[in-house]
Amino acid sequence: MGLGLALLAGLLSGCTGDPGESAKETIRFTFSKREAIGFMTKLVADYNASQDETEVVLDTSGVDVVSASFVRGNPPDIALANYNMETSRFVQRGALSDLSGTEAASRVREDLRPLMEQYGSYPGRTSALPYSVMASSVIYNKEIFAANNIAVPTTWSELIAACEALEAAGVTPFYATWKDDWTIAQGWFDYSVGGQVDTLDFFKKLDAEGVDVGPESSVSFQKDFDQPVRKMLTLAKSYVNKDAASRAYGDGNLAFSQGKAAMYLQGPWAFSEIAKTAPDLKLGTFPLPMTEDPNDLRVRVNVDLAAWIPEASKHKDAARGFLEYLYRPEVIDAYNKSQLGFTPTKETANVPDPRIEGMVEYYENGKVYQGPSVLVPRTIPIMNYTQAIVFGAPPASTLRTLDADWARLAFRQ
Amino acid sequence: MSTITTPTTSKQGPQKQGRQKQGHQPPRSRRRVEPIFYLFLVPSLILFTLAITIPGIMGIFFSFTNSIGIGDWEFIGLTNYIAIFSDPAILQSYLFTFGFSIVTVIAVNVVAFLLAVGLTARIRMKSALRTIFVIPMVVSGIIIAYVFNFLFSNSLPSLGAAAGIPWLESSLLANPDLAWIAIVLVTAWQAVPGALLIYIAGLVAVPGDVYEAAEIDGASKFQQLLKITLPLVAGYVVINIILGFKGFLNAYDIIVGLTNGGPGTSTRSIAMTVISGFNGGDYAYQMANATIFFVVAILISLVQLSLTRGRNAL
Repeated sequence: MGLGLALLAGLLSGCTGDPGESAKETIRFTFSKREAIGFMTKLVADYNASQDETEVVLDTSGVDVVSASFVRGNPPDIALANYNMETSRFVQRGALSDLSGTEAASRVREDLRPLMEQYGSYPGRTSALPYSVMASSVIYNKEIFAANNIAVPTTWSELIAACEALEAAGVTPFYATWKDDWTIAQGWFDYSVGGQVDTLDFFKKLDAEGVDVGPESSVSFQKDFDQPVRKMLTLAKSYVNKDAASRAYGDGNLAFSQGKAAMYLQGPWAFSEIAKTAPDLKLGTFPLPMTEDPNDLRVRVNVDLAAWIPEASKHKDAARGFLEYLYRPEVIDAYNKSQLGFTPTKETANVPDPRIEGMVEYYENGKVYQGPSVLVPRTIPIMNYTQAIVFGAPPASTLRTLDADWARLAFRQ
Repeated sequence: MSTITTPTTSKQGPQKQGRQKQGHQPPRSRRRVEPIFYLFLVPSLILFTLAITIPGIMGIFFSFTNSIGIGDWEFIGLTNYIAIFSDPAILQSYLFTFGFSIVTVIAVNVVAFLLAVGLTARIRMKSALRTIFVIPMVVSGIIIAYVFNFLFSNSLPSLGAAAGIPWLESSLLANPDLAWIAIVLVTAWQAVPGALLIYIAGLVAVPGDVYEAAEIDGASKFQQLLKITLPLVAGYVVINIILGFKGFLNAYDIIVGLTNGGPGTSTRSIAMTVISGFNGGDYAYQMANATIFFVVAILISLVQLSLTRGRNAL
């Protein structure tokens, strides 16, 4: 299998490696975010036309091929990729080169460092730079809120009151799409837990506990997640569409665009899908309040794209040249504007889209968290577990299973 | 496959259908073998070694390490195997897969046998009906699964809502206790034609005069089915059960398309847990799981071989 993949990847990259003009130094640039490939193709063409030293070749072959290319010792020269547990493997083993000397690195906001380091770091190196940060929280239908005289809730009891008011008016408060387990993990579970638990601290301690994670350890899923999960169930049991269990993400986007519910727990990627059927629908965002203190409000963020240059690249200087181009204010701003992302540089001219305006103050003030579902290694089927919980599995025993899975993984790795 | 079917059918012939075939073929000379036969074998042997044997051995090798698929690794002995036996998720996937396979095998064979009896009787439009019943076999599993997924999640619930049948309003796929039934249904829908074809072949081979004799002796149609047809096609039942069971143990595509292992983890098959090792950075661990599955499969094959070999084969 591994061998076959490597062979296949070798063939593929062999095809894309055609230099075109031999005088230029060719570098391979990996980028596979489906929604933005059109944008990036144009950006690369602009860059290639703007100078005659480097020829950038866009490689959209995806995550698995990139992993295999590291094994073969032939990784891309530069990449913009989702920053997650998968990339952290390369970081921790020192497979990515140090970018701390670049101008791009000096532009990146300092306070985003913990966000990057949550996935591990390599001593003395800045292995990757954030390029696009996505914030997600509750998407709400402004028209429905206005028609029912409901203000954006900032505490848990205000949220419940809003739900009750909507129910009384015959409006479904939340549209849920539980058929797709990732929508539960990404929205329901992450927002509920992240709104109450300091995920940064929690996972740091959990890592330290390792094989000892369980009822006796200082932190555990069964102890720290119990209350947030119960609150999630309060919302999930009483305030969602009746057919939530058989609805999928696509159904949700359509139904929400038709005004079938007031709130929707999705990320900014859903906006473009909703806009396909309802381009003029007035939408906004607010963090899901889980406590009685408005100061606890935070939004979920993830580093949707990070830039890195592998240590094994033979064209590091040319790749750095392209990196600096990518981080030019007008380039990075244009990209993030097109994808409704936040620009992670110190100075940005981007005016946020009205649909994500509700999250700006939290992002600017660093009131953010990373979702617990992405901080659990993928080998633990946490999405399935969250789905089991909303479908009625006892939360206490499911969280105990999570603890046991974590300890077992620590035992064998 | 061929190693199982060949002995069954060749033993079956002389025993149960004695009047058609008799005796052994003359022993072949073993002194000279045409080199051309080796030439036929070599390409598949090379391909099999490269694509199956070597990766298989690599996988078994890595199951004793802590490799995550890339980078450095070191030997950790039997740690992965020890961890597997205390992993409820993996134990559950074995339980689910075996339970699912047994139920599906029974369902497929009952349905296919009854259909075959009907389709070999003197009815109108026999060939047209046979063609229709075989269609599911030529459609890819993942496509079937997505079509049924839509039916279960959208069509049936809205039908239930329109007709006022409350239990039909919620999707079968969303019920952790019942989702496996949907998987059995769809898998059987796809697997029945294969078994059907084998049964038709078996039924056609039953000589007509035994029925004639039974009729003269006053046996009813139902008695004929039970006392004559069933024993005479018993060999085909065994083939179908073996082939079916082997296939269902590897269940993957239909489950991915229907429930993706959910709701929760209630319908995760062994193959699904193994594959999660590739995209979840848990390579060595799932290789250990695959190795155990491999041993289990070999044990089952041995049992099946011993059942089908020898004089008293079914």
